[in-house]
Amino acid sequence: MNRRVLDLIVTNVLAVVLGLVVSGLLILLLGKDPLHAYGTLISGVFRDQYTFGEIFVKATPLIFSGLAFALPFKAKLFNIGAQGQFYIGAVTAVAVSLWLGPLMPGPLVLLVALALTLVLSAVWAGLIGLAKAKRGSNEFLLSMMSTFVALALMNYLLRTFLREAKGEYPQTDPLLNATWLPVIVPDTRIHLGFVLALLAAIGCWFFLFRTKFGFRVRATGQNARAARMSGINPDRVYVLIFAVAGALAGAAGFTEVNGVQHMLVQGFNPDVGAQGIGIAILANANPIGVIFASILFGVLIVGGGIMGQLSGIPNSYINVMIGIVMIFVIVGNYVRARIETRREVRRVKAGDSK
Amino acid sequence: MTGLLVAAIMMGTPLLLGSLAEVYVERTGVMNTAIEGTFLMGAWAAFVVTYTTHNLWLGLAAAIVAGVFTTLIYGVICIYLGQDQVVVGTAINILAMGLTAFLFRAQFGTPLSPLTVDPFPKIPIPVLSQIPVLGPALFEQNLLTYSVYVIAPLMIWVLHRTSLGLTVRSAGENPTAVDVAGIDVKRVRLLTVSFAGVLCGIAGAFYSIGFLGLFTETMIGGRGWIAFAICFLGNWSPRGAVLGTLVFGLAEAIAIQMQSSGALIIPNEVFIGLPYVLTIVLTVARKTFNVPEKLGVAYAIES
Repeated sequence: MNRRVLDLIVTNVLAVVLGLVVSGLLILLLGKDPLHAYGTLISGVFRDQYTFGEIFVKATPLIFSGLAFALPFKAKLFNIGAQGQFYIGAVTAVAVSLWLGPLMPGPLVLLVALALTLVLSAVWAGLIGLAKAKRGSNEFLLSMMSTFVALALMNYLLRTFLREAKGEYPQTDPLLNATWLPVIVPDTRIHLGFVLALLAAIGCWFFLFRTKFGFRVRATGQNARAARMSGINPDRVYVLIFAVAGALAGAAGFTEVNGVQHMLVQGFNPDVGAQGIGIAILANANPIGVIFASILFGVLIVGGGIMGQLSGIPNSYINVMIGIVMIFVIVGNYVRARIETRREVRRVKAGDSK
Repeated sequence: MTGLLVAAIMMGTPLLLGSLAEVYVERTGVMNTAIEGTFLMGAWAAFVVTYTTHNLWLGLAAAIVAGVFTTLIYGVICIYLGQDQVVVGTAINILAMGLTAFLFRAQFGTPLSPLTVDPFPKIPIPVLSQIPVLGPALFEQNLLTYSVYVIAPLMIWVLHRTSLGLTVRSAGENPTAVDVAGIDVKRVRLLTVSFAGVLCGIAGAFYSIGFLGLFTETMIGGRGWIAFAICFLGNWSPRGAVLGTLVFGLAEAIAIQMQSSGALIIPNEVFIGLPYVLTIVLTVARKTFNVPEKLGVAYAIES
């Protein structure tokens, strides 16, 4: 194994462990035993097939949102609007499924829903890239603001056009069974969306490291000016990469609506976007790494939930864990860079020109 | 009309504190992307301490401590360890969200009715508050709002007219020159970031003990980001921040008034989304920006 990859894994594992230890200290404040709490977390995750499967159910949207941050990050662009793109995707998926559900066979509805979801969320985010390319606008600010707009839009639609027939809560009617994504592992909720997420991650990896355009993305990220000099048009990269990122985050909306919720409820999954950023960082923006980081986050979320039920530790502890782990991973990146520099210096000094 | 202006000045107070802080920080070359979390930490600390001690001033002090603590962690990791500011900010914001909710639950459990404190009272200034329309808007507010009347002009003056301001501005424009002049760039940046922690802590406190008198985990709800955006839209100038705050304060006041007036012709969500749409439109509409040269770039001495 490549030495740098090994370094990455070692520092990140250490960072995660340290992060969990430090956040565990907060459990002492509740007058509870952190070791016992973490014991509950781990044994809880393995208690039965259904719960174990939940890890992958939770990881599915996170793989998408992790990729939605990681891919633009490779071009030194910040897409922190995955949450909003996710909402746009979810709204599209639920609207199409409710509308076409009674008119067409299920699989066809799913295909149309997925296609429209991808298109609309790609346009939604692509506009950010376009503003960046044409007007030099700050994509960080725009993507952040677009999330709040998407949220307001979703809430409005849930209160009006998409509202359930009963008209009681701001949520939609349930989808017809035929328009659900099929469960692929019996006795769990793992649905076809997980496979789509894996394919998306592999696709992103292939795109980044094996295609001409992926090379242009990485070149733009390393040095936009040099890339421009060598004939790459960074403007085109900005638009395309944002559109792809939007489509990825939107796909998470589709898999959550058609695969898990089977309806759209106000205020669902509010942390998908932010957690995606954490995942991308943990994975060092590598698409394959995103899969593993998402599964780790899935463990923390599912285990954290069980810990909450059994040990009376509030659910907000999940964000405490994730936040502290992220900080340790970030500090770990610094430490790793220093170690690698030192090693390089030693090697050069030793005159080893390997 | 008067009611609207009163609400606009009131809702503008934390936005102005936050955006002025952001202007200073960004002028030194650092984006404070932990601003939302810093607001939240301030709001939480202010409420908790006020609730337990029944002293608003202790609550405010706690908000300042919490704000500085948050921005110090942010600053050390970004400035001294040279890590990516957007990423670190996201981590801190997630942590602040979890931490405030967790500690609030740890301390109070799940109370049946929301816990409340008496917020800073409105103190009408004699004579001045009698001026028609503008009087109540400007001179019938609480002490936190009045403090901004002093802080804002002072910050404008310091940034543009003093050597301290020059140092702050140069740290973002030409850090190497600052370094050569014998001033520690990283220290300038860290001190400014901590100063922003003071202001953002107070801004957060304004939401919990400034007018509502309660704390919820979602009470900041993106307002930190609005302050962040005002800094951009105000062209990184404190005067621009004042102007931007008036616009956004007014937008929020209209939203509140529309929501409470009940009969809605225009959907509620339009007003909720308005500040964000406004930010997007203004960002895209204006091309040339007075962006600090080294904004977001960690300073490293070549060696």
